[in-house]
Amino acid sequence: MKPASFPRQLLLNVAAWAVVLAVIFPLVWMVVTSVKPQAELFRIPPSFLPDAITFEHYWRLLAETPFLTYFRNSLVLAVSTTVLVIVVATLGAYSLVRFSYPGRETLAQLVLFTYLLPSVVLIIPLYLMMVSVGLANTIASLVVAYTTFALPYALWLLRSFMAGIPEDLESAALVDGASRIGAFWDVIFPQALPGIISTALFTFILAWNEYLYALVLVNSDQARPLTTGVMNMLITSFNIEWSLLMAASVMMSLPLIVIFTFLQGYLTSGFGAGGVKG
Amino acid sequence: MTALAAIDPAPATRLTLSARYGLLGALLIAPTVLIFSAVIVYPLISAIYLSLFSIFTLTLEGSWVGLDNYATLLQGPTFWNALGNTLIWTIGTLTLQIVFGVAVALLLNNNIWFRSLARSLVLFPYFISTVVAVLVWRWLFNDLYGILNHLLVRSGLVDMPVNWLGEMPNAMASIIFVGTWKYFPFVVIAVLARLQTIPPQLYEAARVDGANAWARFWDVTLPQLKGVLIVIILLRTIWDFKEFDLIYLLTGGGPLNHTQTLPLVVYQQAFGLNQMGMAAAYSVMMMLVMLVFMSAYLYRTRRARSAGA
Amino acid sequence: MASVGFENVRKTFGAAVAVENLDLAIEEGEFVSLLGPSGCGKTTTLRMLAGLEYPTGGRIRIGGRVVNDVPPAKRDIAMVFQSYALYPHMTVAENIAYPLRKRGVRKRERGPLVRRTAELLQLEALLDRKPRQLSGGQQQRVALGRALIREPEVFLLDEPLSNLDAKLRAHMRAELIQLHQRIGKTTVYVTHDQLEAMTMSTRIAVMQAGVLQQFAPPADIYHSPANLFVAGFIGTPSMTLIEGEATSDGNQAVLVASALRIPIPAPAGGGRSRAVTLGVRPEDVVVGSGPIEARVKIVEPTGHETIVLLEIGPATVTARVGDGTPLRPGESVRLSFRTEKLHLFDSETGRRLEVEHPLRLETPRPASARA
Repeated sequence: MKPASFPRQLLLNVAAWAVVLAVIFPLVWMVVTSVKPQAELFRIPPSFLPDAITFEHYWRLLAETPFLTYFRNSLVLAVSTTVLVIVVATLGAYSLVRFSYPGRETLAQLVLFTYLLPSVVLIIPLYLMMVSVGLANTIASLVVAYTTFALPYALWLLRSFMAGIPEDLESAALVDGASRIGAFWDVIFPQALPGIISTALFTFILAWNEYLYALVLVNSDQARPLTTGVMNMLITSFNIEWSLLMAASVMMSLPLIVIFTFLQGYLTSGFGAGGVKG
Repeated sequence: MTALAAIDPAPATRLTLSARYGLLGALLIAPTVLIFSAVIVYPLISAIYLSLFSIFTLTLEGSWVGLDNYATLLQGPTFWNALGNTLIWTIGTLTLQIVFGVAVALLLNNNIWFRSLARSLVLFPYFISTVVAVLVWRWLFNDLYGILNHLLVRSGLVDMPVNWLGEMPNAMASIIFVGTWKYFPFVVIAVLARLQTIPPQLYEAARVDGANAWARFWDVTLPQLKGVLIVIILLRTIWDFKEFDLIYLLTGGGPLNHTQTLPLVVYQQAFGLNQMGMAAAYSVMMMLVMLVFMSAYLYRTRRARSAGA
Repeated sequence: MASVGFENVRKTFGAAVAVENLDLAIEEGEFVSLLGPSGCGKTTTLRMLAGLEYPTGGRIRIGGRVVNDVPPAKRDIAMVFQSYALYPHMTVAENIAYPLRKRGVRKRERGPLVRRTAELLQLEALLDRKPRQLSGGQQQRVALGRALIREPEVFLLDEPLSNLDAKLRAHMRAELIQLHQRIGKTTVYVTHDQLEAMTMSTRIAVMQAGVLQQFAPPADIYHSPANLFVAGFIGTPSMTLIEGEATSDGNQAVLVASALRIPIPAPAGGGRSRAVTLGVRPEDVVVGSGPIEARVKIVEPTGHETIVLLEIGPATVTARVGDGTPLRPGESVRLSFRTEKLHLFDSETGRRLEVEHPLRLETPRPASARA
């Protein structure tokens, strides 16, 4: 780019960062609120910066609410969904990209179509299905339900990633003496690994954030994940405990913060590969 | 050895190489197909089937009503009200998402300080849970303790705190706004990725030809973005149209069903009014509406692409 | 027994025919080039031999056995790809060792074998590097190493030199020739570069639009092209082709093309006049004297010789003259063609026509041909 004049540069920088800060302000406010002492929270007019920083809300959250149970449930749920979806989708994507058999193109179109399906359509039949199979109110029912949107998405992403691996590599492996599975394991899989990690992160986040299915399929605290659990805490209490809720919000976003801090590159590459390209 | 080697084994009894590979391929996609059939195809067909019954949610007892559900649905105000709200919501938030998304992408496309940090921070709203987003914004919107009202009153723009979620047109505006905040980073990242592949020579040539910043945007940037934008608009429209979590948690459809969109109606019918069959009918109608819009959109863009290309 | 055989092989992609009725028998130890313009089917043919494409019809044999349904791993072949296809996440040593690994050779036995191959190709210093750290030429040698270590029955090479710059290409050409002389295994080599094909092969299979045009040693391809396509494709600058009628002028056969009358050798099979295309190579045009009137159009001095384009009536002839020959555009000169070096083709079918005078003198076979 042509080097711009300094005032212009300055203006651009200020504008850009002003926008960024405005966008994340709500989240900053969330953190600020979560460390404000209770008394300060309900001061009118509200203060910007906390006079004192306290972690009392966090301790209360962990000690006095089912938050940890919800957290554990979400973790089990998200990890199980991710593992299941990644294994199935990796094999499926490989099949769609490197093999030809009758019906393959139709399947690919179908995958695309289901990617766009509203979950609202499926909640009713799925609810009935889970009840009849006896899985109602379990984490397992959520894992099954989550695959309805996680699997098409993962397939779409992985297909994109795998298509980017040069065909010659697999051909070379085949000529060098590998079977097709051997070629997949020795050559395709290592090359696809960044894409697989990217897809796994996306899937994890999708499963972690899901609300509607959890709302419909699970009713007991034993199996409730964070999303419905935290909202439950909101509506069942007498006064709305905003301090607890803000602390809960921060803690709920923990995996996201971890991913953003350490694994960010995978997220943006995932966007590029499957996020937009048809 | 030569004579024996020259005799070929009868090919009819063995599969050809390409057939064997085809079989392996089919095997690898089998788990996907199985899962798809069980949790997507079957429920989809189920939903259509269920919509022909009247089913009481709590007991799951049902009776056949044929197309009555659809008749009731099309006559009543609920469907049309919800359809209208859904359209207002979708078009509203989509427009803002695109406008802000492109604008911020253009802004971030420059060499600003800590550029990658800025990009990551902008992505945050998209990746946090809708629950978190809703909690944060409800806290911000709070009439007594919310910082937003406090700032507005302090600066003199309003006399009284604004009821963001309990009044119209505030409620619709609020959900559109929060929806924009949450989803516009998707547009930013996608557009930014495309912007970074535009060769700078195009801009330089335009500059030499005397184009100012606005002209450069209109004549160089926008045409380059057309392809990406078509896809983004399609995706975001579909996703915004079927959005449940955000609206349900922010306003619950209120006040007085003024922000009740089609997905919310489905949920309400099934678990509020305990009418599963009817809920299924609503969901099928919703899908049909989406299908119509999608086909129209694809048709138009395909025509535009072949005409303009 | 043929080392590699194609029997009536055919390959279609939907409605498009990529390879048609290919019959080819390659002897053991030969270096055969599949030569032709892009889209002629040469790469498809090679890939069918490798087992990466599946023939729609016909049989492919390696070492006598039919391999149509044998997976690439079991065909006893090795291949060097145009893109080299080195495994990016493995080191050079691991790349070269991969075929051995697949064969089940133990780790400690692999080491010395890899080192030996590396020494052969001067890669010892690079064994621990990753492919992206290597230059194009080095990557190509690694690809060669990976192929050599297999000690296969047949080597397949798909335009391995086309991604290298001209100087490196010339160097690698010489190296490949030496390698083949040393190892002596059957090699099938795909290229669009006739210089590579001519200098390296024992025989060349010229292909065009999926059809084999001619399969013969380089000298035969050059001196007795089987049809118009081969005649025009081989040789730089290209052979001049003049269309006309062959008639008899007393006891001399003549080619008539509007006002032109060129003496030619008599086409075998009678003196009736017919549509004939005359072919003459630039080095067989004698400038300075002769029965043909010409006008100099373009003069291109190349340093060691000069290429001249001359107009004779409706046709343009390319000629090679010695460096320093005084010719200027617009000048009129006289030409003659060395009659015994002229080629005649049937204008309709493109096929080569036999003539009554023997055309060819004894030509020495190139050194790379096996005894």
